[in-house]
Amino acid sequence: MKNLIIIFSIICIGFILNPIGANAQDEKTLNSGMDSVTVVVEGLGCPFCAYGLEKKFKELKGIDDVTIDMETGLLNFIFPAADSLSMERIEKQVEEAGYTAVDTKIVRADGSLEATAVLEHAEIDKNAIVQKEVMVSGNCGMCQTRIENTAKKLEGISEAVWDKETKILSVNFDQHLISIEEIEEAISKAGHDTPNFKTSTEVYDNLPGCCQYDREN
Amino acid sequence: MTIYLDAVSTTEKTKSMKLKSKFINKLTVPIAVSMISLITFFTTFSACKESRSDWVLKSDIKIEGIAPIGLTADGENFWLSDGDHNRLVKIDKNGKHINEEKDFERPMHIAAEGNKIFIPTYGTDEILILENGVRTKLELTEELDAPAGVDIWKDQIAIADFYNHRILFFNGTDWISIGKKGKTDGLFDYPTDVQITESKIYIADAYNNRIQIFDKTGKHLLAFGKEHKMNATTGIFVSDGEIFSTDFENDRVLIFDLDGNLKQELDKENGFSKPTDLIVADNVLYVVNYKGQHISVLERK
Repeated sequence: MKNLIIIFSIICIGFILNPIGANAQDEKTLNSGMDSVTVVVEGLGCPFCAYGLEKKFKELKGIDDVTIDMETGLLNFIFPAADSLSMERIEKQVEEAGYTAVDTKIVRADGSLEATAVLEHAEIDKNAIVQKEVMVSGNCGMCQTRIENTAKKLEGISEAVWDKETKILSVNFDQHLISIEEIEEAISKAGHDTPNFKTSTEVYDNLPGCCQYDREN
Repeated sequence: MTIYLDAVSTTEKTKSMKLKSKFINKLTVPIAVSMISLITFFTTFSACKESRSDWVLKSDIKIEGIAPIGLTADGENFWLSDGDHNRLVKIDKNGKHINEEKDFERPMHIAAEGNKIFIPTYGTDEILILENGVRTKLELTEELDAPAGVDIWKDQIAIADFYNHRILFFNGTDWISIGKKGKTDGLFDYPTDVQITESKIYIADAYNNRIQIFDKTGKHLLAFGKEHKMNATTGIFVSDGEIFSTDFENDRVLIFDLDGNLKQELDKENGFSKPTDLIVADNVLYVVNYKGQHISVLERK
């Protein structure tokens, strides 16, 4: 297979260029014994669910100063440094609440910085791109964000658009790098049924209320 | 016809019966058509009279910088709960800011009773009461998990308890819990708004995409709205003859009669943008939109 898959995650430690930038909270927490976390969350379309995400984060032991800016999608909070909250745990917590963490940054209490994983994909062969459509279950704008982002993160995807009305995902991909079945499987793991892959009950139940589409079972 | 048949022979009777049959057919068709037409006319007329509604968009009130969830009238003015900005904002009918109350954690569907504004705070699991600038907390016997709506009727209180998938109802003497998570009649999937009338409790059953009606003992009476493909029933208002509901994801307002029959669909062409709540005041329908920073104002034709 040409254009071999090159996926690597870089966790940047130290003062390096970061996509979110420092803020007042970061400065406030320096040497305070608290880590400052900023997450760019996508899919905050429904206020009832988005406020719920904030509420659920507040239930984490030790967490403080939790805020979500609905317009920018910025989730901010501070956390005891002694607990060494990891990037993975933060992103998992966001995903378990049914959202997508697209960018995460932790400013540690000692001033060091960890930024989001950077994904790099193999180059797409334009001559190998095909377009396919597949039914994907979902309800709302938040579903749309989750479905499209899940697809776009995959190797070989050049475009992914899901229509809330028709429930059809139209996806352009390099057929040498990925298949429609692999795309379906990834989307089902994110919580959305496709004709060939059903999401698990556990994942479905963790979707925000507005995203819990009707299922046969 | 009988006299005619008696006056002829058997053979002629047969002929006459055929004639009769033809005659009857000739008469029956126009009579039947006329009857059907009349029945259709009266049925249609009476149905139209009962089922039609005639709300039309008249104007918009600009509410710059506000992302409203709830709306309640305060005399000639309105209180809006601005969930994104953790505040209540009082405006007049032109959208001019009159007053602001800050530091509510995610205020949701609010209700007014006299000088009191009842505020469910989603982030702190409380019902706060604002009266002349002073805040008190409603005493409850059970814990809430993200209250999304409240309503008051005389000494009765109903709370839409979002994450507990139930309605807490105070009947003037006792608190009762109505419903639990589920899809069938009487169960809820994240209730977001509630209204009490003299004899019933009306609930916006958000992600079951329907409205449910209960009596005040907690007995389920009616469920409707899902058949009209609602997608997130976020707000409800009940008048003397109509039930109004916001269809959040579809940018619609649906108006039903009190038996749950659809009277009018107001679609996105009316400029709704993620509508969350609505009220009728002085024969004017006000719809708040979470997106777009405006209130849609509708009147009857």
